[in-house]
Amino acid sequence: MKWRKNDMEQYVKAKEYIDTVIIPLIPFQMAKDQELSKDSFQNEALALFLTEMEKELSGRLLLTPNYHYIKSTNLEQEKGRLNLWIANIQEQPFNHIFFITFDPKWKKVERELDGSLIWLPGFPTKDLLSNDVLQMVRGQVTEISELIRSYW
Amino acid sequence: MSDKKQQVSRRQFLNYTLTGVGGFMAAGLLVSPIRMAIDPVLKETSNGELVNVGVSVDDITTEPQRIDWTVNQVDGWYESEPSRSAWVFKDDNGDVVALSPICTHLGCVVSWEGSDQHPNQFFCPCHDGRYEKDGTNVPGTPPLAPLAVYEQEIKDGILFLGNPISRKGA
Ligand code: FES
Repeated sequence: MKWRKNDMEQYVKAKEYIDTVIIPLIPFQMAKDQELSKDSFQNEALALFLTEMEKELSGRLLLTPNYHYIKSTNLEQEKGRLNLWIANIQEQPFNHIFFITFDPKWKKVERELDGSLIWLPGFPTKDLLSNDVLQMVRGQVTEISELIRSYW
Repeated sequence: MSDKKQQVSRRQFLNYTLTGVGGFMAAGLLVSPIRMAIDPVLKETSNGELVNVGVSVDDITTEPQRIDWTVNQVDGWYESEPSRSAWVFKDDNGDVVALSPICTHLGCVVSWEGSDQHPNQFFCPCHDGRYEKDGTNVPGTPPLAPLAVYEQEIKDGILFLGNPISRKGA
């Protein structure tokens, strides 16, 4: 499910079935020309991945809106803000909270987060709708769903 | 000085405008023959919404296989719905069956023999929902309705699929 009207109406009625949350962690920056194309591409690729991922397990999984932060930011601060999100999410009976990101910096603070970090290596910057990329996304979706299911 | 500037920019403006119009006209000229050439195809997809899913009927066996295809979207608006899937097989009469993989409970994607304990059934990983091969939901598991069946058509030995049609609960 996504955080949208129809899904949330269904969520309220069936919440005993939806016990898993995914929070996408997405860096944002406008300051460095050379990295704009790459960074924004990763954002698009992650959106594609998450759409597919959500479809696969939508009956048990809530995909939250993206958690954005400035790419060069100090994650020590972000960690606190992110844990506030989690505290709020845990007002509902969720058992599993996952973060999905391409940004390896989160690895360092992983232990201080109240959830499990799934780090994906970025996709090569190519045409997003090319068959290679779609195949790659599908492959990753299968792997990550298996990983999540192993927690159930 | 300022007059001159204005003139230049006015000329530029006209230039752009004219190029724009010319461009449009050229596009119009270019489009018509192409349109004529692909029009029949366009009609077909927009009427029945049937899409070539890239599978030849000869390659379909009695063992369900998952096929994925993308719904063609003009501007790559991939957040809406980039891909669709179906489980496709031949039933005992040799007729092609294409089932939607979306679990009728809360919408996860089911797999054929997705659980070792339940051979010959579709299995939903989310809450252990199960379906018989023909898509009928197994009573006592969470889903209350069978898997939807895709509208289908076979043309020149190639499978075309349309929209999934829901069925009433077993
Ligand atoms: S979504 Fe398939 S059993 Fe609940």
